[in-house]
Amino acid sequence: MAKSIFELNEVYFSYLNKIPALNGVNLSIEEGSRSAVIGANGTGKSTLLAMLDALVFPRRGSFRAFDKEMSENILNNDEFCRFFRGRVGFVFQNPDTQLFCPTVKEDIIFGPLQLGVAHNEVVRRLEGVAATLKIGHLLDRSPHQLSIGEKKKVAIGSVLAIEPEVLLLDEPTAGLDPQTTRDIIDILIAQNKAGRTIITATHDLHIVDEISDVVYVFGFEKKIVKTAPSSEVLADQNFLQEHNLIHIHRHQHKNLVHLHSH
Amino acid sequence: MAENNHFIERSLMAVLVLFKESIFSEDCASRKGFLQARDPRVKALMIFVLLLAALFSRSIPFIAGIYGFCLVLALVSSIDILFFWERTLFFIPFFSLFIAAPALFNIFTPGEPLASFHLFGMAVSITKQGAASAGIFFLRVLTSVSLCVLLALTTRHSVLLKVLRVFKVPQIFVMIMGMCYRYIYLFMEIIQDTYTAIKSRCGNISSSARGRKIVAGNIANLWRRSYDMHNQVYSAMISRGYSGEPKVMDEFRAGLKDWLCLGVTLSVFILSLWQNQYLN
Ligand SMILES: Nc1ncnc2c1ncn2[C@@H]1O[C@H](COP(=O)(O)OP(=O)(O)OP(=O)(O)O)[C@@H](O)[C@H]1O
Ligand SMILES: [Mg+2]
Repeated sequence: MAKSIFELNEVYFSYLNKIPALNGVNLSIEEGSRSAVIGANGTGKSTLLAMLDALVFPRRGSFRAFDKEMSENILNNDEFCRFFRGRVGFVFQNPDTQLFCPTVKEDIIFGPLQLGVAHNEVVRRLEGVAATLKIGHLLDRSPHQLSIGEKKKVAIGSVLAIEPEVLLLDEPTAGLDPQTTRDIIDILIAQNKAGRTIITATHDLHIVDEISDVVYVFGFEKKIVKTAPSSEVLADQNFLQEHNLIHIHRHQHKNLVHLHSH
Repeated sequence: MAENNHFIERSLMAVLVLFKESIFSEDCASRKGFLQARDPRVKALMIFVLLLAALFSRSIPFIAGIYGFCLVLALVSSIDILFFWERTLFFIPFFSLFIAAPALFNIFTPGEPLASFHLFGMAVSITKQGAASAGIFFLRVLTSVSLCVLLALTTRHSVLLKVLRVFKVPQIFVMIMGMCYRYIYLFMEIIQDTYTAIKSRCGNISSSARGRKIVAGNIANLWRRSYDMHNQVYSAMISRGYSGEPKVMDEFRAGLKDWLCLGVTLSVFILSLWQNQYLN
């Protein structure tokens, strides 16, 4: 059996100690695996990813990563902090907050520089990322003046430049055109083939099949209500509908009305 | 009345757009020109030295000379001179004229009268010394403002921030400045979007009480958003390995031409000192 990277055991988390966001979550992620996290709005997907990236910590329950019990304390240790940040990369849901440098280029090299990567290696990664994501022409622009899709790509690039072992992606394809979505999925698949672990939160069921083997479904009670192979989850129409993941479509063909789900 | 409101709304939006464009457009900075091609560190130093020369000199022709030099630099940097004047001539020197104006009169600067007249039954006169010091003051402000605008116009703001770091301004300070700049932009976007959103939902804001309510709610919202955003941005920095002291990469390269330019400006500066001695 492969090594497990993240272990969550009965984890509870609430914002400001009053808005519950995770209500008893159990989860185990193996090295090199592909998982998807799906669920209706506000069910705790982003919060889960933030926890896996050690940005928030459980109020109750245990969270282990790389065989260590995670807490704010352990990340105050510089050595472990660098180890962890270099291994786990997080693409935020909102690219506006993720991109904070004056130029796209500086945003992409920010991570590697902070983590002490040598300068010529930083330049190599910058060129590599720019080529993979086809954002070479944006490098000197200000990130905040890009289109949403371009921002998203830059945000992904800024994380890929860190070359992390684990990629956490929060809605990586939201608002992207079909071709760009395709490109991003191909990149993710390639990353996984290269041995990286990918965990994606998404509403886009079309991509779930391609980027995951296991799907975690969050329910309105803010915990995981189903863990199953992606094909199984995707096949269960009633279940998906119950969790706001598909909606009934009403079509009118001539005088005939017919219903089907999307 | 309704028409009037509309007009004010429209012009406020126009001002916002103009503001956004004038601060955030890097159009001039990305053109090919003399100053744009200079090493930013040397360029900043040049401008700084010229500023000092303008401040130290006490001769009107000399400062006017520096101003002329500044205009020439603007010209060879493919900046439209009318555009440049628009940016520099109107506001700031205009205000400085207000400040300098009292110095013209014998009440503040006694000396040989140039012209005398009666004001509110008082005999006042413009003195030669007064005119000279007001003139110098005005010219200095004009020249300093022009030099700074020239630097800002021909340098991308991100590069400008980096230059600050070269001159040993603490990194954290530079970083915060960069973020402020970015936020101003973001907030202007938010204001614009919110305005459009309100408009599309409520049509025209007809009653002013209702308008006030919406605006008040929005300000509170903006405040909260900025707080949330700050938290999230900080998380994003932490997530990518930030640990208190940001590290950046410098890649400036100065060539022979840059050093020559610096040499020229340094001699202007020395000339200003020497000429002061000579005048005394
Ligand atoms: N910064 C915050 N402060 C307070 N409450 C928050 C904050 N962020 C999220 N929440 C709350 O925590 C819960 C879970 O939010 P989360 O962002 O994890 O949901 P999500 O599944 O990612 O939703 P979406 O699909 O809309 O992105 C929600 O009820 C939300 O209101
Ligand atoms: Mg979310």
